[in-house]
Amino acid sequence: MLGKGVVGGGGGTKAPKPSFVSYVRPEEIHTNEKEVTEKEVTLHLLPGEQLLCEASTVLKYVQEDSCQHGVYGRLVCTDFKIAFLGDDESALDNDETQFKNKVIGENDITLHCVDQIYGVFDEKKKTLFGQLKKYPEKLIIHCKDLRVFQFCLRYTKEEEVKRIVSGIIHHTQAPKLLKRLFLFSYATAAQNNTVTDPKNHTVMFDTLKDWCWELERTKGNMKYKAVSVNEGYKVCERLPAYFVVPTPLPEENVQRFQGHGIPIWCWSCHNGSALLKMSALPKEQDDGILQIQKSFLDGIYKTIHRPPYEIVKTEDLSSNFLSLQEIQTAYSKFKQLFLIDNSTEFWDTDIKWFSLLESSSWLDIIRRCLKKAIEITECMEAQNMNVLLLEENASDLCCLISSLVQLMMDPHCRTRIGFQSLIQKEWVMGGHCFLDRCNHLRQNDKEEVPVFLLFLDCVWQLVHQHPPAFEFTETYLTVLSDSLYIPIFSTFFFNSPHQKDTNMHQRQLSLPLTQSKSSPKRGFFREETDHLIKNLLGKRISKLINSSDELQDNFREFYDSWHSKSTDYHGLLLPHIEGPEIKVWAQRYLRWIPEAQILGGGQVATLSKLLEMMEEVQSLQEKIDERHHSQQAPQAEAPCLLRNSARLSSLFPFALLQRHSSKPVLPTSGWKALGDEDDLAKREDEFVDLGDV
Amino acid sequence: MWWGGRGQSFNIAPQKEEPEMGSVQENRMPEPRSRQPSSCLASRCLPGEQILAWAPGVRKGLEPELSGTLICTNFRVTFQPCGWQWNQDTPLNSEYDFALVNIGRLEAVSGLSRVQLLRPGSLHKFIPEEILIHGRDFRLLRVGFEAGGLEPQAFQVTMAIVQARAQSNQAQQYSGITLSKAGQGSGSRKPPIPLMETAEDWETERKKQAARGWRVSTVNERFDVATSLPRYFWVPNRILDSEVRRAFGHFHQGRGPRLSWHHPGGSDLLRCGGFYTASDPNKEDIRAVELMLQAGHSDVVLVDTMDELPSLADVQLAHLRLRALCLPDSSVAEDKWLSALEGTRWLDYVRACLRKASDISVLVTSRVRSVILQERGDRDLNGLLSSLVQLLSAPEARTLFGFQSLVQREWVAAGHPFLTRLGGTGASEEAPVFLLFLDCVWQLLQQFPADFEFSEFFLLALHDSVRVPDTLTFLRNTPWERGKQSGQLNSYTQVYTPGYSQPPAGNSFNLQLSVWDWDLRYSNAQILQFQNPGYDPEHCPDSWLPRPQPSFMVPGPPSSVWLFSRGALTPLNQLCPWRQSPCQQSPSLLAVSSRWLPRPAISSESLADQEWGLPSHWGACPLPPGLLLPGYLGPQIRLWRRCYLRGRPEVQMGLSAPTISGLQDELSHLQELLRKWTPRISPEDHSKKRDPHTILNPTEIAGILKGRAEGDLG
Repeated sequence: MLGKGVVGGGGGTKAPKPSFVSYVRPEEIHTNEKEVTEKEVTLHLLPGEQLLCEASTVLKYVQEDSCQHGVYGRLVCTDFKIAFLGDDESALDNDETQFKNKVIGENDITLHCVDQIYGVFDEKKKTLFGQLKKYPEKLIIHCKDLRVFQFCLRYTKEEEVKRIVSGIIHHTQAPKLLKRLFLFSYATAAQNNTVTDPKNHTVMFDTLKDWCWELERTKGNMKYKAVSVNEGYKVCERLPAYFVVPTPLPEENVQRFQGHGIPIWCWSCHNGSALLKMSALPKEQDDGILQIQKSFLDGIYKTIHRPPYEIVKTEDLSSNFLSLQEIQTAYSKFKQLFLIDNSTEFWDTDIKWFSLLESSSWLDIIRRCLKKAIEITECMEAQNMNVLLLEENASDLCCLISSLVQLMMDPHCRTRIGFQSLIQKEWVMGGHCFLDRCNHLRQNDKEEVPVFLLFLDCVWQLVHQHPPAFEFTETYLTVLSDSLYIPIFSTFFFNSPHQKDTNMHQRQLSLPLTQSKSSPKRGFFREETDHLIKNLLGKRISKLINSSDELQDNFREFYDSWHSKSTDYHGLLLPHIEGPEIKVWAQRYLRWIPEAQILGGGQVATLSKLLEMMEEVQSLQEKIDERHHSQQAPQAEAPCLLRNSARLSSLFPFALLQRHSSKPVLPTSGWKALGDEDDLAKREDEFVDLGDV
Repeated sequence: MWWGGRGQSFNIAPQKEEPEMGSVQENRMPEPRSRQPSSCLASRCLPGEQILAWAPGVRKGLEPELSGTLICTNFRVTFQPCGWQWNQDTPLNSEYDFALVNIGRLEAVSGLSRVQLLRPGSLHKFIPEEILIHGRDFRLLRVGFEAGGLEPQAFQVTMAIVQARAQSNQAQQYSGITLSKAGQGSGSRKPPIPLMETAEDWETERKKQAARGWRVSTVNERFDVATSLPRYFWVPNRILDSEVRRAFGHFHQGRGPRLSWHHPGGSDLLRCGGFYTASDPNKEDIRAVELMLQAGHSDVVLVDTMDELPSLADVQLAHLRLRALCLPDSSVAEDKWLSALEGTRWLDYVRACLRKASDISVLVTSRVRSVILQERGDRDLNGLLSSLVQLLSAPEARTLFGFQSLVQREWVAAGHPFLTRLGGTGASEEAPVFLLFLDCVWQLLQQFPADFEFSEFFLLALHDSVRVPDTLTFLRNTPWERGKQSGQLNSYTQVYTPGYSQPPAGNSFNLQLSVWDWDLRYSNAQILQFQNPGYDPEHCPDSWLPRPQPSFMVPGPPSSVWLFSRGALTPLNQLCPWRQSPCQQSPSLLAVSSRWLPRPAISSESLADQEWGLPSHWGACPLPPGLLLPGYLGPQIRLWRRCYLRGRPEVQMGLSAPTISGLQDELSHLQELLRKWTPRISPEDHSKKRDPHTILNPTEIAGILKGRAEGDLG
């Protein structure tokens, strides 16, 4: 099944190397010549991908049924993915291949996507890790994109069971070195993939020019300047090579504390107020050093506190806001609601659904993030203040909040290109530790916090509430969230631009000798707050924040007055944050649950109607163009994707029609007997109907 | 506009009102101190309606505030904005009218204090600055009174509302409308919704369903079999009227088995009341009962309707809780909202109804059999389930016309006690079963947006209509009472004509208006919004009909009898409970009242010996494509925000989210623009330019749609 869609994909000598994968227009990945052929089933390998181990006659349970049905096939593990190749690779209909993800097949799990592995021993489910003494008869794999796979190994040779189980556990659970990421083997093998799509205008923010362009776009260039003081990462490995600081700030200040304590520009509002971020100074015990830090910060604050700069309000995100641990706990509870091993579990939770959802407090965390972003927006928009976000490393909640604020205030960020540029600017260049937060290397489970997913979920709330304000759809966000775990894109696999640059470049030479840098220690479980900074700032901001009540009033007034006006989709955009308004991102979290499938229903039904309309519009347009002998060919063909299949399921385009006929859920103790009555029904036909004679 | 204006329930831009505000300002009001409402106010009354008090006020809540007059009459409280165009054709203003019975809670605000007004006495020496009227239909009207010497009027109107409300009862109706509309005749309904009050209506409907084994029985023409039954209903061809009469006597309140719907594939859906266990039928009677239940099929499935579904008291309690939760000032914290919602259990009941209806429609669709819905009273959940099953299995029931006929047949004609259930009689048996049904339909509409011809707005309009006493549709408990009121019964009792003849010419029959006369309360622009622009009739091909299998009478006992209960089928030995001595009675029969019990969890052990999925003989015949199988998982059952949260300004404001109709408006707007901006189009193309060509790009449209409503879990 794997790679089936690739074959017809056309040419593909030059494939773009995008940052994100997209279902709608998947990039072409051409198959490796040395295909492993065995029986009729073919395993398609990506360039640089290697088969590690395999087992045959594995039974994959069909999820929606009870645990008695399944498909036999081969379970393989490569250095990129775990794949199941069904023996009866039945002819899939066109729709299925047409909308398939071209990298990840239906039964493929990238190694980074594996969340937990369970083994079933004598009906008991146990987490599998490390060296096993006994091998399970059933393997359950929970994926990070919330798929659940169940493989029965009862009919597999013992040798093969040992090999595949320990192989899978080793390659997914054991700590890894950065250089062993599949990313590098892929990059080496598929070097011709470097041609960028000319249509892709995503600003990467890896040159001085990009930053200047952004400054110009937001009219921030009067008060802020792009600096190249960190070129070649001379000053600091956490910061990007280029970034923007207030114009009067002396460049040598940046070097003082390796970039800490420096207000870094994120974005400028049309009224001149700006969003800044700052990573906290290192904590010191020594009074002398503290004194130096204090005077340093005083100097910094003097700079940004006098005209032309607006009054600065500081938001300390590491002390009065969410902790990363809260996010981690909430998400691990939340995801359990969707990771179900069998249908029965799901039915059982129905009645308690809302309270279970609530107790995970994931939605509440989303609400708090959105609320914080609105508060900051209010400061900038209504009170014309600068806002300085402060965090330990300015690379987790800083990224989240500053991206949200920009998304709400800057319509450019709501285009697809603008959104990608925003992610590139705030997250990738902002030094969000994707490698640690996604735990790609399995080195420290505690560091695994889905901050980026939380961001996407917040964005989803906005998209869901104001769909016309965004160029992209929820499907785009869902696909984006999946690409976190696909190690052929380098975007989400490094902790900092420095790490990426050093590794990707050295890799081309041959091998990096050592890992350039150990995982930075960010003590986010630390309870005490940074007194120094808090005190320092406390004095400064005390006159701004008289009482929290007043703050609440300002917020409320701003929020209410915005919502009472009609929405300008090209202007400021605020989300609703009331109880009933924060919702579950159903597409992402429910898409692999067959029971959630509504045959012929959901939005797809409306969408297909709409596409039909658009197609008509387009054909009329063409006719008009013809009449005017216009040379211009119509831009793009209307996607006729949904036309042929009138009744797609609501889970489109993810779980494609797995159930060809919907199953009625009548447990029938006596249907067999009824079945025998069939003959009777046929006989009935021969009777004359006396009804209407 | 979160409420009021045109934004309240409908997506119609409030263009008309605002521009006029300034200009009308001077002459809008009579002299402030005048005690007499101006003649223009009086002319807006219905015949028979008296203005009790009025005061100038400002509708509050959302920008812009709208000034106008708050009027209390003996029928309703209404707010008439300045410049509001009085229209003879729509005498009732659907947005600002609150029938007295609809007022759920009254609050007056003065300064910082807020008082709930229960009795006239509670307003002692309290000059209200603002009055809040909470509708029982989840609407909210906030009117602020102008300062400046008008306090006495504000006080008077508030007093009047409190008093009038205390004296009102639902049976009071706007008889004036009937009179004023009488001149126009009832031809305004296009196509007229059959009221199912004549034998012709029943015969037409029977032919439409191709129910050839059935005929219209006239046995209840004088309501002497049961007053709660319609005058006509369908019984099997072979059964004589005398047998019908005999058999019906052994059912609770005389509600014997009647055909609800004939599936084109040959199955029949029947409904009946519980067996009247105290009766002692003879052999002939039992045979008649059995024949009627069997309806010519060899397989009979009895469905215990009350099993797994909430009781009436449950529904009422859930609805009350839901209303309390959705009040704008409900004290529930934002982060506790979901569990509070769960605590109302309303969505749980919606789920239960959908699940059961979906199971039954599988039973009806998949094979030729007689499926009998049996509820003790046969007037509540039977109607709900039977309507839902038809909506799921019959595409024609999902059209505007089909749905209205369905409600008229399964609810109004079938004798759902609307007045009691909606609290009109003050009796304890209040339970908004019909509103529960509307919520279920809304869920279906959400899940299958392309399968319904009507829109959410239509459902809202219907939801709001149940407490507007303008027509008899929802104001009576039984067809008999309804007929008595509209005068047709008199003509029947006096001049009884046997057979199914036309009612005598010249009686008052034509004067009766039904709720389906939408133009009474809604403007044309609003009625246009009843159409679902996303409806795609092609979506379900007409060719879905399975091979029709004629039904006929089988002499002798049925070959298989099943009881469908708790989501499973179990074989039954016999259909009727009477042959055995009472102590041997099968407990599954409805002599035993069933309670709300959770469906037993299907544990993995029991799965092994159960056959899941399609029975083997269904394999070759997949379910017909016209059948909708709704999702009813926890995350899939959603809150009908546009209905229940209308009173909450902050939530309401988000409801202006674009719909497809909004998109269509935009499309035509763009076309307009394009026409202006494209001078290069030669004159002969002008006809062409009306064609929809647009500059919207696909991703924009997809974006608009994709984000909409799906995953709406709140």
